[in-house]
Amino acid sequence: MTREQITAEILNIFSREFEIEQPGLDKDLRETYEFDSVDAIELLLGIERFLKSELTHEEKKMAMGIRTINQIIDYVEGLVRVRGRETHA
Amino acid sequence: MKGRRVVITACSAITPIGHTRAEIVDSLRRGVSGVKTLREDHLLSKFIHSQVFGTVDYPIAFDFRRTFRKTMGPVAYYACQVAKEVLDQAGLPPEFVTSGRLGVAFGSTHGSPTVQREIYKTFFGASQSEFRAIGAVDYLKSMVHTTAVNITKMFGITGRVISSSTACTTSSQSIGFGYEAVKYGMQDAMLCGGADEYDTTTVAVFDNLMACSTAFNDRPRCTPRPFDRQRDGLVVGEGAGAVLLEEYEQARKRGAVILGEVVGFACNNNGGDLILPNRAGISETLRLGLDDAALATDEVDFVSAHATGTKMGDVIEAQAIHAVYGGGPFVTGLKGYMGHTMGSCGAIETILTLYMMQDGFIAPTLNLEEPDERCAMIRHTMRLREQPIRVASIQNFAFGGVNTNLLIKRFV
Repeated sequence: MTREQITAEILNIFSREFEIEQPGLDKDLRETYEFDSVDAIELLLGIERFLKSELTHEEKKMAMGIRTINQIIDYVEGLVRVRGRETHA
Repeated sequence: MKGRRVVITACSAITPIGHTRAEIVDSLRRGVSGVKTLREDHLLSKFIHSQVFGTVDYPIAFDFRRTFRKTMGPVAYYACQVAKEVLDQAGLPPEFVTSGRLGVAFGSTHGSPTVQREIYKTFFGASQSEFRAIGAVDYLKSMVHTTAVNITKMFGITGRVISSSTACTTSSQSIGFGYEAVKYGMQDAMLCGGADEYDTTTVAVFDNLMACSTAFNDRPRCTPRPFDRQRDGLVVGEGAGAVLLEEYEQARKRGAVILGEVVGFACNNNGGDLILPNRAGISETLRLGLDDAALATDEVDFVSAHATGTKMGDVIEAQAIHAVYGGGPFVTGLKGYMGHTMGSCGAIETILTLYMMQDGFIAPTLNLEEPDERCAMIRHTMRLREQPIRVASIQNFAFGGVNTNLLIKRFV
């Protein structure tokens, strides 16, 4: 899965679930878009559906410090890499 | 214990007989009923004998941002709408709203049953992998205090939160506990009320207890019939009501329009059976309310009776009113107009009483044509009366044996 594909899906989730259209990729989500703890939980569910894979508690904890769309994309890229390694192992 | 004076400086209701003050007053004056045929819910409605419901069937222009909508079920939409209207009407300084000196007392019978049904569908109809889809948002939408905290979130209110959930006394408790919080100085203002959404579960419960009206399914507006010989049970309804209570000196200094004064409140329990009405318990709460208000019985000239239209409840209530007041005050059962709006009924009936108090009229009990002889000893309002109300008692009683009595005085 490419970064472009991940970006497209994350933007799709933001549009569909949070009514946030074309967000700035480096904008602070809380300050700019009132993205809060409830949204963060919904986002993680959206990512699980996208990856068709449950996130571990450790992976969820890693998401706690995320503030921007680019950080979310980095995070999902990391998850995809781990799952790719697990598949090939 | 003497406390501070507490006044009502704004109110708003969503009811089966209208939303704006003008619509509601017009319905009361013209005897318009808001009881309609029970809507299909594709689950329970076809099994319920009672096919009538106090229905809110007009459009409401909810205008809430996504960040608020995401944690709201239908009951919170109702609650936040009346709260918004109350805050708009009151014109409180924005810095006061978020100061911690304004609190919220707001509840519902059981949160959002619509959202709860969606959760149950996942429990019973979905594969295990979908269970995880029941998340924080579903809980925030469905939980018992969803109305109160969605209000605090929407308006940034940081004061105390009271979220009563005592069925039919939910919102009369909200107003009563809010009154006490302001009276005794814990808060300077309280936004109080209750809401309940369209829900057939409640209808089914009362239907199974044979407490619901079934004889007027083909003529919904003719039921419920509080105190009437032909009454055959209650009619469940939906709605919301909110009032703003403020400490009197603050309200006066800021030039607020004062709609009425809360002068007393009582709440007690029957201490026994959780369903059957109890004359001693009800009489006691009426007396306790009068004591709290330091009023004599002859100073109360209007009673908004709980009067659901059930066979026994209305008789016991009439006996209690007579035991305390004799035949003095005019008694109206406002549920004749809209059925029993459950968790919101105490607030809605308070607001309707305030409207009548301000406009100088007393609405009759709709559908009361021939009083049951066992209820006939009190002074029923049988026709529209152009008559001022100085002091009103708003009575509500709930499953669980909870009784409340609010005393409201016209502000002059």
